[in-house]
Amino acid sequence: MPDLSVRLGPLRLEHPVINASGTMELFELVEVLGSSVIDDPPVAAYVPKTVTLERRAGNPAPRILETTGGMINAIGLPGPGLRAFIERELPRLLALSCPVIISIGGFSRREYTALAGGLKEALDRSAGGDWTGRVGLEVNISCPNVCSGCASIGGDPGETAEVVAAVRALWPGLLVAKLTPNVTDITAIGRAAAASGADALAAVNTFKGLVIDRETLKPYLGNVTGGLSGPAIKPLALRTVYELFAAVDVPIIGMGGVATVQDVVDFISCGATAVAVGSATFREPCLARALSEGLGRFLDGRGLALGGLRGTAHTRE
Amino acid sequence: MTSRPDRGSSAGRRRTVTGGPGPGLTGLSRSLGRVTAVRFLGSMVGLTVTVPGWRGAVPGQFALLQAEPSRCFLARALSVSDEAGEKVSFLIAPVGDGTRELCALRGGDRVWVLGPLGKGFDVDALVTGPERVVIVAGGAGVAPFPLLLSRLLVKYQAVSVGGTGGGRRTPVAGGPKVLVLLGFRDGAQSGCALPVQQAVSEMEEKGLRCRLEMAFEDGSRGPVEKATDLLDRHLRSGDRVAVCGPGAMAAAVWKVCRAVPDVETWFSLETNMACGVGSCHGCVLKLADGSDARVCHDGPVFAGKEVFGA
Repeated sequence: MPDLSVRLGPLRLEHPVINASGTMELFELVEVLGSSVIDDPPVAAYVPKTVTLERRAGNPAPRILETTGGMINAIGLPGPGLRAFIERELPRLLALSCPVIISIGGFSRREYTALAGGLKEALDRSAGGDWTGRVGLEVNISCPNVCSGCASIGGDPGETAEVVAAVRALWPGLLVAKLTPNVTDITAIGRAAAASGADALAAVNTFKGLVIDRETLKPYLGNVTGGLSGPAIKPLALRTVYELFAAVDVPIIGMGGVATVQDVVDFISCGATAVAVGSATFREPCLARALSEGLGRFLDGRGLALGGLRGTAHTRE
Repeated sequence: MTSRPDRGSSAGRRRTVTGGPGPGLTGLSRSLGRVTAVRFLGSMVGLTVTVPGWRGAVPGQFALLQAEPSRCFLARALSVSDEAGEKVSFLIAPVGDGTRELCALRGGDRVWVLGPLGKGFDVDALVTGPERVVIVAGGAGVAPFPLLLSRLLVKYQAVSVGGTGGGRRTPVAGGPKVLVLLGFRDGAQSGCALPVQQAVSEMEEKGLRCRLEMAFEDGSRGPVEKATDLLDRHLRSGDRVAVCGPGAMAAAVWKVCRAVPDVETWFSLETNMACGVGSCHGCVLKLADGSDARVCHDGPVFAGKEVFGA
């Protein structure tokens, strides 16, 4: 097996395949798959569901529907809020054998800094010593399913720069900016985030979409619009990674429709350093590990090192 | 001009379906099962799948099924209808693309199975009530009940041979211990009652008093009536009720049950699911206390008072 380890800022990942935020409740998988899923997580780094400052109920049902080659969701960032996250989730996250990338979502710059500051304080207190090799932060500035903040921040280079810079000023560990594809020029957002101190970019969040209820002929989702994911969006997502790789120097976590080994290979070829599995996790909870093993076999078969695959789509030959 | 979509497009070169995770992958948590029997039951299909490593289900638990290969992205959540070792049965109504695909499977075909999942019926709580166990199902809602009936039989047999546990009860004089009330749109839909009828026969053969009644909404086999009409006629104080059916039926059943004292109810709820394991937060249900429950993880079986309040 070739060396599949990659670096994202100060984090070292055993292999390049992680989960997209909001698609895996690792601790609840124990009930189905047993404790091995915690002892030896299927992901190289675990990204929990986006944490918000206050408790949120999320959007009204229905929240999901399968679409051609994928699915649409409007979950709406439900969660217990920062305080409960720190009390209940953080201790068991710190006990995991893989790094953790905590995703935060806010509705203003102040909320993002309160979230990052609160987490840093909790980690300084409880993680013991230097935790920056174990815990990273993802600023989700791209959720399409909440009415203010978040994606509207990630849709504007100036606001992106302000939020990322403000979080950077107080967060010492890995800082990832998760980008929305629902913009005219994603490279402008990516450049703003990188220039403001993001160590890595995650590309991309879901594509804003809409489905119609075939009985009522009205929008099906409780939130009216939702985010499209799954294999249907893969070429769209690949394009964003390809463009960002040419525009910025920081590593990219590629995501959007990853379901097969070939998808992982394609994202890395376009320039991704790591790859996240999102909604395909819903049909196979341990897909990330299976894909990393498949990637190893692919590289062996081609006689390639992982680093030799990265960005190959950009070289003309 | 010939277009060559299979060149350059890796997706086209491998296969265009999006069902399985790809050939040769290792370390998966789903099992690739094989269809060992298909029964045509009116408008539904009974699918028996041999699932390597199947752990055994509690009645009311479900599994995620996806044909291999499949044109669908996600698996479909289906109640475990019966099981014998690694042979697991499902009753499937062909209502959409995923279920139609599953209903078209034949012996030897492959199907991905993840499960058993969710929280099922509390069999002990059902059998230790002062009166009968009443099962109420509407249409495809019959699915979990062959397994529940076979588990009830095991419980009652354990009690009658002097088994331990709080389950010892005096037989209800003159009436059944288990009453099964099924409601169907029409005769074609009622074909799926067969596995329940067989489970009821087996109980009777083993000396357990069990009665089955069916209602037809189209009046094709008797009066125009619903399962709730049957329940209204038969329900009595002390009964313990297990329910599965469409949302409107469940609400109507609750109305009947709340009017009778000392009746406890459990409802197996249906909803669209994506992950089936609590990860996606897609299948939420607003409970009576205002909190959100994930049907897949916190259910699919809920106590009636949790869902509908007091």
